[in-house]
Amino acid sequence: MQRRYLVFLIQIICITFLADVRADSMYKEINIIGGYSDRDKWVGKSESLSNSVGFENYRKFSNEYGDFLTSDLQLRLAYDSLKNSEEAWAVQIHNAWVAYKLGLGRDLKIGHFDPAFGLEPILDTHGTILQTLAMKNIGFNKDWGFALEGSLSELDYKLALQLGSGMSIRHRDGSYLFTTRMGTPATRNFQYGVSLMHGEVLRSEGMQTFPLNDLLSDKAVRKDRIGIDSQYLFSSYLFKGEIAYGKNDSDDVLGYLGEIDYTLPKNQNIQLELQFQSWVNDLAKSKTDDSTIIGGVSYKLNQNITLRAALSHDFNLMEGREDDKILVQFYYFGI
Amino acid sequence: MIKFWSNSIILEFKKISSSVFLGLGASLILASVSYAAVGCTLNDPDRDVKRLFPEATGYKTEFITIKEVGGQELFNKIEQQVGDNLDTVYETIDVPYAFYDVLQGKDVIAHIHGVNQKGKYGGMQLILATDLKGKIVNFFYQKMSSPEATKFMDNNFTKQFIGLSLDDFLKGKISAEDPTKESREDFLATLRGLKKNLILLDELKINRVSKQ
Repeated sequence: MQRRYLVFLIQIICITFLADVRADSMYKEINIIGGYSDRDKWVGKSESLSNSVGFENYRKFSNEYGDFLTSDLQLRLAYDSLKNSEEAWAVQIHNAWVAYKLGLGRDLKIGHFDPAFGLEPILDTHGTILQTLAMKNIGFNKDWGFALEGSLSELDYKLALQLGSGMSIRHRDGSYLFTTRMGTPATRNFQYGVSLMHGEVLRSEGMQTFPLNDLLSDKAVRKDRIGIDSQYLFSSYLFKGEIAYGKNDSDDVLGYLGEIDYTLPKNQNIQLELQFQSWVNDLAKSKTDDSTIIGGVSYKLNQNITLRAALSHDFNLMEGREDDKILVQFYYFGI
Repeated sequence: MIKFWSNSIILEFKKISSSVFLGLGASLILASVSYAAVGCTLNDPDRDVKRLFPEATGYKTEFITIKEVGGQELFNKIEQQVGDNLDTVYETIDVPYAFYDVLQGKDVIAHIHGVNQKGKYGGMQLILATDLKGKIVNFFYQKMSSPEATKFMDNNFTKQFIGLSLDDFLKGKISAEDPTKESREDFLATLRGLKKNLILLDELKINRVSKQ
């Protein structure tokens, strides 16, 4: 099963790169990140970013009747400063999908992409320090599988069935992940959505695809969730929020995130960000929450380069070890 | 059993990883064009095409830069037509602009094109649907950073631009009125963005296609 799936995926990727296209974007990416943490001292990574080089190739394929296929391949060669030199280098496959148009307003997507839950599938957090709840909620922000995406008269919908394994392709203990999100179109200043999740999800550590990241357990965790999310653009402010509630096996869990982004009117290349997110691992017990507040600033130096800095305080009540961290980032995405 | 699956998957990865990397290497070689970040794409092109042109059966997307069509000479011409200096971050010569040809069967029946425009409080995205000669048939904001955004995005304001073409903007024949009390700067930015949109459509799409 896995072999057929992988061969099919590789064939599609190869076909897309050999075919003729009218819309083709090839981006190169360099990410340099570092900082200091009370807990880990000097660090060269954040929760989801490490020092890396990579690229993204986004293509649209068309015939005389219009676009029929879209592909995206986005990968990084990353260096994890917290690992020893033999294990520090890894390949991370982020986006690796093709979307076949079933008609105007309906796409079938195959590959590695965002589960259809919460803010993650509608935001681009690929290069940003501030992230959504996805990592704490699902355990990863991309997974391998299929999805149906489309639009109704007033709402957009996504349904995804994935392996429940995250960055690496694995199938253990009957793992799978079903997610669905229905929300307002992405063209409005005020957007909101409702999401559902059900699955048996593997818990892994690390963002790498090759070599396989580490499994924390061979047993999958049963996850059931309901969630709501919203974004509101008002003047120079962008408000973001999401809430997820449900169960991890028999434990009741709850997560919530609030964020305010402010673009300086006088210099719109500068953006200030403030985010608070909390994940309660067991509502029946005290001090099981993992909460973080982050303040950040980003400066778009030119079309391709963004500089970022972030100061965070991790309350880390679950392990009883608070942490303050400062991170700075140089991010290049372009020619 | 689980161990067997794990080992077989790892072996599978070893077998196919060389193919994957070869494919990726080939893709890098084949990709002869490199782009900066895309100017302004439709967030939901299927929805927009269906809403604006119910008779449409599909659309074709094309990314075009000023650099590849006419280089610095065309960039200077566009800057002159816009009437001020283009932004050094968001309006550079190598920004790939996304153009959508709306199709009915095999026939192109309209174009859709969007631009980013700097406003008083942040960025705005101005989307125009035009006929094949560049006359506006619809206009909407995909993004609007203004405390009076609802007034700008209201149909009573946007419909005032229907029927206008680039010539009207170049000759100053615009009768649309500012719908706000305190956002004159964003109104003027809208006019600049629409003019820039039509200039780019004319130079990168309509004129280029007619020359081919």
